[in-house]
Amino acid sequence: MPSALTFAAESGISVNGPLVVASFKLFGITFNLTESVIVQWFVILLLLIVVLVLTHNLKVVPETKRQAAAEMIVEFFRNTVEGSMGVKYQRHIAYFGALCCFIMINNLMGLLGLRNPTADVSVTGAFAIITFCMVQFNKGKTGKFKGFMKSFVEPLPFMLPFNIIGEFANPLALTLRLFGNMVAGMVIGSLIYFALGHFAILIPAVASLYFDIFSAVMQAYIFMMLSMSYISSADCGED
Amino acid sequence: MEMTPETMQILAKGLTLGLSALGAGTAMIAGLGPGIGEGFCGGKAVEAIGRQPEASGAITRTMIIGDALAETTGLYALVIALLLLYANPLIGKL
Repeated sequence: MPSALTFAAESGISVNGPLVVASFKLFGITFNLTESVIVQWFVILLLLIVVLVLTHNLKVVPETKRQAAAEMIVEFFRNTVEGSMGVKYQRHIAYFGALCCFIMINNLMGLLGLRNPTADVSVTGAFAIITFCMVQFNKGKTGKFKGFMKSFVEPLPFMLPFNIIGEFANPLALTLRLFGNMVAGMVIGSLIYFALGHFAILIPAVASLYFDIFSAVMQAYIFMMLSMSYISSADCGED
Repeated sequence: MEMTPETMQILAKGLTLGLSALGAGTAMIAGLGPGIGEGFCGGKAVEAIGRQPEASGAITRTMIIGDALAETTGLYALVIALLLLYANPLIGKL
């Protein structure tokens, strides 16, 4: 049956979802183990090794370059979080540092010829759902039950439906922003390779510099910054 | 000329695919919006840095967030265009 997918593949360009490596059934639901998950395991392992190496044998006064680098990274995230969320949110430094590093390394996986895990809407959706839960939690924690309910009828009661839609629009926008950027880089990369054919020199490299490196680092930073501003603006306490 | 059901089927598929391609192209007109928005954002940031060069770090950070927000509508259009091209929901309805 000639579907749209085979139609696109016949012309030489193929853009597919992540490969399903294995699938297993649990409680009647089929779980697919996709390429994205495998690559993410690899990223987790990579980050774990880097973190272990960087934090091994720390001294009060830094002697090695290794420790100086680790302190620089921590300092960067501390300044970013305290600068845009306030000193009150110091607990979140570790989470946002981990989030930014994880997304950034995931985005950079395209450089190794692997499929970006973040070019999969379920991966970026998961990140956005974590942010959504943190927003709701922060709302409940700072405003208690009354403040939580009140935040939906502000500034005026008839705004209730708009507020509820807005609450769900934020994670959707976060999901699609990261996904769209990564998938656009992937599609444009393959289109450039297809269009140039045997003359694919230099131009793909320049495009890759923008889409695979600049955009990857930028989108991780943007995801972190937007998550931070959503969470800190959900604060409905008195202070 | 009498049309057989097979010819009709092929015609319908061709029409759907062609119109989907047109739709994908048309959806990407939405690229105009983010372009204008990001242009404004960058221009105003340059003005602000010109007025207050010492605040350039904070201004650049805010500008990047503004760019990212302006980009969102363009990305919605991109997702629709990609759906029409690579995961066409209409072709299954034939």
